[in-house]
Amino acid sequence: MSNGFRLGLFTTIVRPEEKAILAAAEARGLAVERLDDGEVTFGLDRPTTLPDVVLNRSVSHTRALYAALAYAHYGVPTVNAPEVVELAGDKVRTSLRLAERGIPTPRTVVALSPEAALRAVEQIGYPAVLKPAVGSWGRLMAKVDDADAAEQIIEHKGALGSPVHSVFYVQEFVPKPDRDLRVFVVGGEVVAAMYRRSSAWRTNAARGASAEEAPITPELAALALRAAEAVGGGVLAVDLMESPRGLVVHEVNPTPEFKTLAGATGADIAGKIVDYAIGVGRR
Amino acid sequence: MTECPECAASVGSVDKVLGEVFPCPDCGTELEVQAVDPFAVQPAPKEAEDWGE
Repeated sequence: MSNGFRLGLFTTIVRPEEKAILAAAEARGLAVERLDDGEVTFGLDRPTTLPDVVLNRSVSHTRALYAALAYAHYGVPTVNAPEVVELAGDKVRTSLRLAERGIPTPRTVVALSPEAALRAVEQIGYPAVLKPAVGSWGRLMAKVDDADAAEQIIEHKGALGSPVHSVFYVQEFVPKPDRDLRVFVVGGEVVAAMYRRSSAWRTNAARGASAEEAPITPELAALALRAAEAVGGGVLAVDLMESPRGLVVHEVNPTPEFKTLAGATGADIAGKIVDYAIGVGRR
Repeated sequence: MTECPECAASVGSVDKVLGEVFPCPDCGTELEVQAVDPFAVQPAPKEAEDWGE
């Protein structure tokens, strides 16, 4: 069935998600070209052999972005598109875009120096949440309950020394139930949704939150699709919280994991992703 | 089969694919499949600052 069509799978590591994608591609008779993000090189001239589409599953935001730009330069479509990786891989850009589109999102203030960061936290009020602008899995996030904690966290972030940590992304702490929502969008379709439940304030699956299927209500689906569309669409996981003022979108993830979601819902997410990538490659 | 580079435990290759990351059954070190035939593993890359979803 492949008719010479080749799917490039660009990865840092192969997790259950990438194994499921490989299995889905094999089930469809697709030829898969494995592309290791630590091995490939990109020249300025178009290589003679290239896949028809590249499914970008690099866990490194930096590598994912430059690879997407290079493949676009060669005329090879990627899932997701470079603009989507650039936007959704950066919480500051995502927040700006969500606000521009009128999509409800937690109150957020960005600061570019430690001194301004303290003022940003004061503007948000306590408790506030500090997050890195890039990277996820709940790492290096901090909930600050008072000015002393804010000063210490900001000082520690400064000591980390990297440019990523010189951008201070401060968000209101949303009083939510002991759960948040993850909605998986492929193209213009919501394919699955789950509650991520944790007694801790961070509900990332990577931090051990438990999962259960969530009903895809019309309100939830519409908001998730609007958020996905706002960052350019494609394969995206939209994370939402149930705040006192209704659903708010706090993240749109461009290289989403789905092992937990597929397990909780039985949805064939890998198959949906591969079918979508085939469609993008044949456009 | 091959050996875990950290603890020398035997590590099986059944159903493993190139690049797959899995924990050593004995010491729990995250290993990455370096080659399938012959089967070889190396310690998995360390999580970097810009890693995420």
